[in-house]
Amino acid sequence: MPATDYQGSSAAAPFASLGRSILSLRRDQTHPVDGSDSVSGHDRELDAFQRHVADLFNELSARDDLLSIAWTRCLLDSFLICLEEFRAVLFVRRCSGPRPAVDRLIADFFERAVKALDVCNAIRDGIEQVRQWGKLVEIAAIALGKDQKVLGEGQLRRAKKAVTDLTLTMLDEKDTGSSVFTHRNRSFGRAGHNSGKDHHYQGTGHSRSLSWSVSRSWSAARQLQAIGNNLNAPRGHEVLATNGLSVFVYTMNNVLLFVMWALVAMIPCHDRGLNVHFSIPRSFVWAAPISLLHERITEESKRKDKRNSSGLLKEITQIEKSGRHLLELLDVIQFPMVEEKEMGVRQEAEELAQVCDAIKQGLNPMERQVREVFHRIVRSRTDGLECSVMHS
Amino acid sequence: MASSGSSEAAMPSPATAIADVEAAEQLIHRWDPVASPSHDRMLFDGSDRADAELYLRAIDHLRQSLGPSSPAPASPSRSPSNTIQIAMARLEDEFRNLLLSRSAEPDLESLDLGSLSISSRSSDHDHDHDHDHDQNLSDAEDDPGGGSTRVASRSASSIREIDLVPPDAVQDLRSIAERMVAAGYARECAQAYSSARKSAVDTGLRHLGVERLSIGDVQRLEWEALEAKIRRWIRAARACVRVLFASERRLCDQVFGTPSSADAPFAETVKGAAIQLLSFPEAISIGRRSPEKLFKILDLHDALSDLLPDIAAIFRSGPAESIHTQAADILARLAEAARGTLSEFENAVLREASRIPVPGGTLHPLTRYVMNYISLISDYQPTLNELIVTTPSARFSGEETTDHPEINFPDLDNRTPLASHLVWIIVVLQHNLENKASLYKDAALSHLFLMNNLHYIVNKVKDSPELRGMIGDEYLRRLTGKYRQLATSYQRAAWVKILHCLRDEGIHVSGSFSSGVSKSTLRERFKAFNAAFDEAYRTQAAWFVPDPQLREELRISISERLLPAYRAFLGRFRHHIESGRHPEVYIKYSVEDLEMALMDFFEGCPPSVHGRKRSH
Repeated sequence: MPATDYQGSSAAAPFASLGRSILSLRRDQTHPVDGSDSVSGHDRELDAFQRHVADLFNELSARDDLLSIAWTRCLLDSFLICLEEFRAVLFVRRCSGPRPAVDRLIADFFERAVKALDVCNAIRDGIEQVRQWGKLVEIAAIALGKDQKVLGEGQLRRAKKAVTDLTLTMLDEKDTGSSVFTHRNRSFGRAGHNSGKDHHYQGTGHSRSLSWSVSRSWSAARQLQAIGNNLNAPRGHEVLATNGLSVFVYTMNNVLLFVMWALVAMIPCHDRGLNVHFSIPRSFVWAAPISLLHERITEESKRKDKRNSSGLLKEITQIEKSGRHLLELLDVIQFPMVEEKEMGVRQEAEELAQVCDAIKQGLNPMERQVREVFHRIVRSRTDGLECSVMHS
Repeated sequence: MASSGSSEAAMPSPATAIADVEAAEQLIHRWDPVASPSHDRMLFDGSDRADAELYLRAIDHLRQSLGPSSPAPASPSRSPSNTIQIAMARLEDEFRNLLLSRSAEPDLESLDLGSLSISSRSSDHDHDHDHDHDQNLSDAEDDPGGGSTRVASRSASSIREIDLVPPDAVQDLRSIAERMVAAGYARECAQAYSSARKSAVDTGLRHLGVERLSIGDVQRLEWEALEAKIRRWIRAARACVRVLFASERRLCDQVFGTPSSADAPFAETVKGAAIQLLSFPEAISIGRRSPEKLFKILDLHDALSDLLPDIAAIFRSGPAESIHTQAADILARLAEAARGTLSEFENAVLREASRIPVPGGTLHPLTRYVMNYISLISDYQPTLNELIVTTPSARFSGEETTDHPEINFPDLDNRTPLASHLVWIIVVLQHNLENKASLYKDAALSHLFLMNNLHYIVNKVKDSPELRGMIGDEYLRRLTGKYRQLATSYQRAAWVKILHCLRDEGIHVSGSFSSGVSKSTLRERFKAFNAAFDEAYRTQAAWFVPDPQLREELRISISERLLPAYRAFLGRFRHHIESGRHPEVYIKYSVEDLEMALMDFFEGCPPSVHGRKRSH
């Protein structure tokens, strides 16, 4: 594996040269470790796997729709591909090799993978949340849409109501300290109109607690920390001792961590913390692609307009933006509407319609993919367990 | 009763049409809180329906007027479509208010939850077996709550819908929903519905004790705690599905009229709760396999399997269908978990390698554990027969057999896979016990130990008709023969030496008829006998044969050999000793003494406790 592919100084992680030398040692070795010539075969497999991972993440980087639903679906697909290859490798290598070291490695991966299951569940809830927002957006888009030849006061009020609800729900989502039931202003008049009329309602609106299937004390940030806990590159003797399996596992662990981290960054969930560091020695061919994506996404999250976002998913930020613009426009509109203002409104509505489409088309399949990730992890774990049961 | 929105038969003249429309608009604007904030009471507040009906009729007029022959609007802000929007906004609030103020909180506590369970085995295991199962795995003699009828019956209608909202309010909701949907405001209507109902569903779930546990939470819990939660979940799930969700579906159908228009609001209302409910069995199915979990996993499996048809009926269409799919998936996973757990148990039996011999050669805890376990398995026969489809030999080809070539696998033809597994388990247990038997230094004790344990196995099988049916009488006979043989081996090992003292040869000095008896030899013999018997008494009183019948049989068998031999020996030779000095040194025991002493054998108590009668 040509570690010399990288220009730029490897921020010389201590393992960089070690990793390189170990891996090239194995290839060049004239006296095979286990007496067969399958040594170079193992090598090839390991190289191929790592290269494949690198390719997949490079493709993700190259796309121009970073953080969109479509991009996320691609991310999930990539994960599933990696996982399948990894499973195949496990199946073969697991049953041949020194017991304790191999067992420990595999147990380590599955510990992390099980933690990812809860992330998948939280993400599914978040997707439902996005779906709800999409429905509100749809109302506004239809009220102000192309089909409406005339934008009368009725349509405007309808759209405004929907967008106000949307804004309140999204605020609800972000407000970590709020009580369970948000006393929402219903439609009696404009958004500012308040109080007395509302005494009919006890508390309505989309309560945050209702969307979550994990307890309120669950934290995505903590879960990610746990997944990434003690994730260290394997040392040379480990690699040798496990016939390269430790590198497979290290790779897969990082892929798992990255994908979960990215999902948390994009989709609303409890306590989204983005402080996860990837310190992968540059000698790993997939280190750069993953780190690059990590940096880009982190950059996004720091941008002024994204800092308080419920989620970095492009469609979410679009909803937030267009919703805000629309609300501003609608707030100041007088009748009869000036053509300029009308165009502004219609434009925002068009944006919203597009987001709506993207959501309607992509969200269901995306949810299914998340579920598929869940299933595959469980499946591979039970397979892994069974194997260990039979051979301990 | 609000009128439906269909058009009237009579066609009004244009003049009256316009007048109608204007009147309608006026009415609606009068109730617009923006225009006239003074109106702050609700239209549909349950008392006087007149206003509400007028309002609805006004809406109907307006919508009719929006047909192709509608007159031009007087002013843009007063156009019918605007007015409709105002009306819709108002209706949405009325709708929401109705749902919130008229919802009856279902009294779930008073529900007869027991009647919601269908198959008798499920309720059996809820009430009777709560404690028994777990105790039995470690306890001594108890049999599991005997005779639980594990009949997989299923009644036609186990669903019990209740009124979540009083019927008159339902009517109002229906009227409102009709108008909103017809005016193109179905989304708002569905939104209002689900946001109001969601909180009610969530409250219901709370009251039933459904918890929000992540997979990590479930993994961290101790098994005892989990067992309690499983029991609670089974009860709660029945109420959730058959009452709560079913009632929500019915309400939704009533409010939205047709199932297809009710699909979306229903899914939105209950999806989160349903997912939350299912997350618990899902987490259990994912957990680590360990033998003690088997029966609770089966309980969970059975409960979910029971509920599945109801889930299919309630979550039958639209976005809610994924709930049914998920439930089916979880059921399959629970089945897998059960299979995996059984495998884990079998491996545990195979691998159990404690090397400390049980004192007194009595029952090994492993034997008791395993036999109790498979008795319970036979209780769950109906379910396990469906789940267990591979035989052990299929699984254990290769490594295992080469690891243990000495295990004699019986012929497993003509058995269900489950029965094969049970036989296999007993075979493995037997093999394990044989290894343990070899740990005893004393061969007699070794035989006794194995005899005890095999006998226990045979008895346990005989005690349970289901188990006996699966193990089969032929194998039982084989085991019986084995432990009888061991009894014989024990006797040989323990008593041959002693009986040897009472043999004839060597005592007579000359082959002639005359009484040429070597007195010294005789004295040696008596002394040897006494010493040997004392030794046997000392050690074997501390040995234990737990089964009273077997104990008695063994003693009888010994006495049948010992007593006649001793009596004959005494009869033939005592006068030789008695004619010499200190006969009491040599003839320590009478036959009765021996008989009495034998009664102390295998009691598991050291002999100093007993006095021993001596007769001279």
